[in-house]
Amino acid sequence: MQLPESGIHVQGLTKRYRRSEGGKGLLGLFGRKTVQTDGLIDANFGIRRGEIVGLLGPNGAGKSTTVKLLTGILTPDGGDCTVEGIVPWKQRKRNAVQIGVVFGQRMQLWWDVPILDSFRLLRDIYAIPGERWKKRLDELTEALDLGELLSVPIRQMSLGQRMRAELCGSLLHEPSTLFLDEPTIGLDAVSKLRLREFLKSENEKRGTTVLLTTHDMADMQALCPRVLVLGHGRLLYDGALNTLLRRYDSQHRVRCSFAGEPAFGEAPRGLTVKAQESEWEIVFQPDQIPVDEVLRWLLAAGQVREMTLTEQPVDELVAEMYADLHLT
Amino acid sequence: MRYVVQAVRMNLRRAAQYRSSFLLQTIAQLIMTGGDLWAVLMLLERFGGMGHWGRYEILFFFGAMHLVFSFTEIADRGLGRFSSMIRTGSFDTVLVRPRGALLQVMLAEMDPRRIGSILVALTSLIVASRGLALRWTAAKILLLLWSAMGTGCLMMGLFLLEAVVCFFSVQSIEIVNVLTYGGRQVCQYPMDLYTGWIRTLFTAVVPIALCLQMPVSVILERQEMLAGMQPGWVWAFPLLGPCVFGLIALIWMAGVRHYRSTGT
Repeated sequence: MQLPESGIHVQGLTKRYRRSEGGKGLLGLFGRKTVQTDGLIDANFGIRRGEIVGLLGPNGAGKSTTVKLLTGILTPDGGDCTVEGIVPWKQRKRNAVQIGVVFGQRMQLWWDVPILDSFRLLRDIYAIPGERWKKRLDELTEALDLGELLSVPIRQMSLGQRMRAELCGSLLHEPSTLFLDEPTIGLDAVSKLRLREFLKSENEKRGTTVLLTTHDMADMQALCPRVLVLGHGRLLYDGALNTLLRRYDSQHRVRCSFAGEPAFGEAPRGLTVKAQESEWEIVFQPDQIPVDEVLRWLLAAGQVREMTLTEQPVDELVAEMYADLHLT
Repeated sequence: MRYVVQAVRMNLRRAAQYRSSFLLQTIAQLIMTGGDLWAVLMLLERFGGMGHWGRYEILFFFGAMHLVFSFTEIADRGLGRFSSMIRTGSFDTVLVRPRGALLQVMLAEMDPRRIGSILVALTSLIVASRGLALRWTAAKILLLLWSAMGTGCLMMGLFLLEAVVCFFSVQSIEIVNVLTYGGRQVCQYPMDLYTGWIRTLFTAVVPIALCLQMPVSVILERQEMLAGMQPGWVWAFPLLGPCVFGLIALIWMAGVRHYRSTGT
């Protein structure tokens, strides 16, 4: 089957894991049986060149399996996939030249030598012409603020610095596609924001396709116009994150404070009111009670001094979604 | 090629990062191999020789085996560490880079500390050759290098076999050590001192006797080991080393396809 030449294409991709499950103790060595678990079953999707797409799903959903299949680390049991027209497990080396990979929990640069040495070795591994390498290195050191760190080994760096160095290492050979497996795990707020900004600008400037997995919903919202939700190895949703979340966004919360004691009229049905010190918290479901009705009712109660309307936190929505899709 | 040179430099630089540790371990290696040598010397002191071999000839066999083995160990420490690469998942990193997986694993870690053992082995070779008043010719030097390379490939194949096992079982089984380290201990003496299955094992299955010892016996100008064969034939035997290595490399490639990675 001929898959398109540009972007990432996945058709019926399947990966199963076999592991033997033994009984207990020495006798268990004999009564072993093989148990099959599914990493990925019959997944289908396409990603256009230059898109940023997020892979979402609870632990064990098949996110890492997908990344490992697309990067040529694993060989699938069935189905097809191509990255820029190349089948990763058949042409592992050719694929490796055009992709960059970052694992958030696994350092790929050499542990105890200055990172500049690592970058030099990467130059020779990828056979990057010297001048091109130099130019790209300068560019990345500037963008990732690595200038003073070049002579420092990874083992002496903070997690945020390490991640920046890893990103630099994975982009030196100017890959057309970048895979990131939980890149922001353990990073502080500043490092996270910088990383997002950097990824966005790489994508805009160079048209790099980015596929990332993360459990950080803020990452997803900031970076990925489109998400793929995986669960039990199956693709459950493909589309905009916000559209998906709106389905589960059933509760709105209004916090307000009044000048003086409010005199509430009869509350609309289905609305709950809670007093919290000097504030009032009103919870309602927007699909049952129109927002303007709630507001009118509130304004009638007294002189409103301050008011905020909050949606449900995204993490709660995602948890609800996982529960709804029977993923937990 | 540039990549290989750069990777070797990287390994040396890493050793240089921990200078005192490197120095201590090199000395430790020197003492360990020196201990082996001392044991052999004690035996020779007591018996004057072994079988039909004189003391300097035994010393020569000892030096040749340890020289080859230590050089192999310098080069393939990466293979020895392969089980931990599988366990920690750092083999994933190897697979996302555009180079042969085997080459990368072998270059991932080298062990320059073995220089200690090499010094001991070289010393015993020199002492033996002087004691024998050996006449070195270009052909002899060539034959020694040739058989050392063949045997090196053979030993590397054995280390590779140990690594291949990791693809199919998470824990490395130490059984292959019997052939590598055991092979070194057994084959520091000429094979015709042994009888029975040990002799069969290291001649027909793991042909150290063919790759290394027969050429060495030709260098020593002794024909007994050849069992009536023309001395010219021994030039062919070291080729067995690359053959064994190639065969096991094929299994390795099947193993890479079987690789399951570890969860994150």
